[in-house]
Amino acid sequence: MDWECCWSKDEIAPESCPYVGEGEEDLYTSHRRRVVEKCVECPRFKNDLARMKGSGYPLSDVLPYILTEFQEQKAQMGAMLSFLNSKTREIKFLREVGIVLQTSMDLDEVLSIAMTAITAGKGFGMNRAFLLMTDKERRNIKGYLGVGPKDYEEAWRTWEDIGRSNFSLKELARDFQKTKLTSEKVKFHDILNQLTVPLADQGHIFNRALHGKKPILVENALNNPDLDRGLARILGVDCFLVMPLISRNRRIGVIIADNCITHKPITLQDMQSLETFAFPVAFALERASLYERLQEEVAKQKGANLKLREQQELIVKMEKMALVGKITSSIAHSIRNPLMVIGGFARTLLKGSEENDEKRSYLESIVRETRQLEDVLSEVLDYSEALFPVTDFWDLNGLIAAALADMDGVLEQAGVVCRQELSPELPMVRIDYKQISYCLKTIASTALAAMDQGGELKVESMQDGDGVVLRISDSGKSLTKMAQEALTAPFFQTQEMGEGVGLSLCKTILERQGNTLSIISRPGGGNTYSIRLLTRKENI
Amino acid sequence: MAKLLVVDDEANIRLLYAQELSDEGYEVVTAATALEAVEKLEAGSFDLAVLDIKLKNESGIELLQRIVKERHTLPVILCTAFSCYKDDFSAWLADGYVVKSSDMQELKDEINRVLTKKQKGMSQE
Repeated sequence: MDWECCWSKDEIAPESCPYVGEGEEDLYTSHRRRVVEKCVECPRFKNDLARMKGSGYPLSDVLPYILTEFQEQKAQMGAMLSFLNSKTREIKFLREVGIVLQTSMDLDEVLSIAMTAITAGKGFGMNRAFLLMTDKERRNIKGYLGVGPKDYEEAWRTWEDIGRSNFSLKELARDFQKTKLTSEKVKFHDILNQLTVPLADQGHIFNRALHGKKPILVENALNNPDLDRGLARILGVDCFLVMPLISRNRRIGVIIADNCITHKPITLQDMQSLETFAFPVAFALERASLYERLQEEVAKQKGANLKLREQQELIVKMEKMALVGKITSSIAHSIRNPLMVIGGFARTLLKGSEENDEKRSYLESIVRETRQLEDVLSEVLDYSEALFPVTDFWDLNGLIAAALADMDGVLEQAGVVCRQELSPELPMVRIDYKQISYCLKTIASTALAAMDQGGELKVESMQDGDGVVLRISDSGKSLTKMAQEALTAPFFQTQEMGEGVGLSLCKTILERQGNTLSIISRPGGGNTYSIRLLTRKENI
Repeated sequence: MAKLLVVDDEANIRLLYAQELSDEGYEVVTAATALEAVEKLEAGSFDLAVLDIKLKNESGIELLQRIVKERHTLPVILCTAFSCYKDDFSAWLADGYVVKSSDMQELKDEINRVLTKKQKGMSQE
């Protein structure tokens, strides 16, 4: 009998069976495999079986039983194999993700790997996922991050890009963290903002999932009166999965996953796989959040330690100041009082002496020398005080106005007019108020000394880069280079300026605080003293 | 004639004050300690007190506080060898602050200023 199917032939010619595909060419010569794999499914074979039955072949009645059983078993085997393959993939994937989740302390890295795993085709393949976390006060669950395409266009573009790349899941997550995490955080801002739910709202689906410690699959949400339609409307889908994130009985948050683009149904198997995955994610999120909080606490602690060290240094400095204060007080008391008595009585005697008394010049010498000793003593005491500045933020213009107000009488007596040009928008400067005030007064006094015929004293303030400049200009005679040097060297004496520590002390004070003093004398007359103060100095 | 109480533990300085301030036309009473000053303040009436800060047993600042507490109308000028107390808030109770100097003009000016201010205040009342 001629059979329609090739089952009876040991070998067949190529292309004589339409069911042998490319890559299966060995079936042409392998009779047994061809019959088992192809012929049992072939419609021609079924026709041959029918013909056999008609011709009275004795086995033709039982053959269909065996064949049906064989096909059922084969289908079961196939399903099991497919299930096995899928589970193997899942385990491999969970292992890959698990390693990162177990080791990472970086919240962004954990978020990236978790959300990529849920949404990537190589992971759970959901279209979109939202992560909601409980806030620090543990009062609300709040939307934190959304990942996925906003529309079909974006989905198509993203999936095509991913399809072209040969990235592993870990690489995809790394790429996501590097290039997309920041933008994704704001992309779903509108949806995330509407997802805040109080933890006390026990009836809400998020809290029900957290309380039951089980995922909830919501289907047909828009038409189901028992379900919260508001959430479905916010998400724009009627089928989504709510996955609780719980670590050591602590409610960490919730993941919402859906297939907003493909609308593929979420299966029980999807739900079970995600449930297995949720545990390490919750644990890793908790650990990373705790680590982040720990880092914040460490930073706070470091700040407090720094502050404490500053305070300790300040105490040491103040102790030194107190010691210097004691010494200088003692000097002040032991020298100033005798000087006052000597000079004071000399003045009294001078007042009572006759104009032509030859001893008058002796008394005048005593008065003059005592005065000079008193001046030197004042300067030495000022110098020791300048060793320990007490700095704070001050308004320089206020300082200038107050210092010049103190000098009103002296200026008037010297016939000098004072002009102030102060910039109204100066930043605060970190200075020792008393010392800078002293510098300004000393410079102004030096400037007055150069204007013995009266003149104009100009005081300006202005911003200059990261500093502020205080400029004092006189209209007196120009100082020579030597006089300028003398002014800034302690106890250096010149014919022009006498001797003292005044400007030298100013220079020391300013330089110790990182500021500068410069003097420019114009050849035609007039001198300008510039003090540059830093505004951003944290520590001195 | 304004009556001044001058308190200083140095005898020579008290002598100098008495001489110079009498020449300015003031009636000057001196005291060497805070205790003596309090006794003299209780015994008579004064227009102004000039106090040194470093005194034996009780400081000029403490004496100042007692005067302000008990006789708050009496103006006080601190005249001391220390410039640092000027920044001490406890010294702000005083009406004036002068650093000791052989040239007593500053002290005289300050006494004059404080007394004038006091007189103006009284005439307004």
